Amino acid sequence: MSFREKSAWISFILIFIFGALWLQNLIRVEFYGLHEHPVKIAFTMLAALIVAEIGLHVAIAIQSPREARTPKDEREKLIDLKASRVGFYVLMVGAWASIATMHIPGANKFTIVQAMMGAIIIATLTRFAVQIALYRRDA
Amino acid sequence: MAKTIQNNIRRLRFDRKEMTQQELADKIAVTRQTVNAIELNKYSPSLEVAFRIAEVFGVPLDQVFQYEAVKR
Repeated sequence: MSFREKSAWISFILIFIFGALWLQNLIRVEFYGLHEHPVKIAFTMLAALIVAEIGLHVAIAIQSPREARTPKDEREKLIDLKASRVGFYVLMVGAWASIATMHIPGANKFTIVQAMMGAIIIATLTRFAVQIALYRRDA
Repeated sequence: MAKTIQNNIRRLRFDRKEMTQQELADKIAVTRQTVNAIELNKYSPSLEVAFRIAEVFGVPLDQVFQYEAVKR
């Protein structure tokens, strides 16, 4: 498995975990009324995500330093572009869906922000999933 | 019958003292995975990379790549 594919897998798995924890926290706040500073929790999770991303990327870069130093070539840039395009469409659908939540009875700013957060997470997961699929196809 | 881009990179590497995919990748400034994808006809390189490959092997472009019909 190439360095870039490993990197995509790491980001996909970490963002999946981040998304699952975010959703769990959201359910606790929305349905059980447990308010444990949702913004504080979100920022703590984000900080943990960044630290884990850096740590794991350093680890795979130590494992294959040559590949890590090599800049992306034309095929890898094309894979990035294709994945970003698919992710963009998902993000757009999510953004419009977030706006539509305004019309849900009882919805407030918190609902819209959480819907947008969900859209960002799903779009990012889609982007990395497409990257992995394209790397696997060419392998 | 559909036409696709075929290549002789594997044979050309073999003829050059079994040059490895990594050695070729280093010479044309792409990753080994990209050389592998080109060899397996899973990725068509840009014109610039195609010319670089031909230059490494010291042959005209049409001896490396062919645009021909393939039976499926």
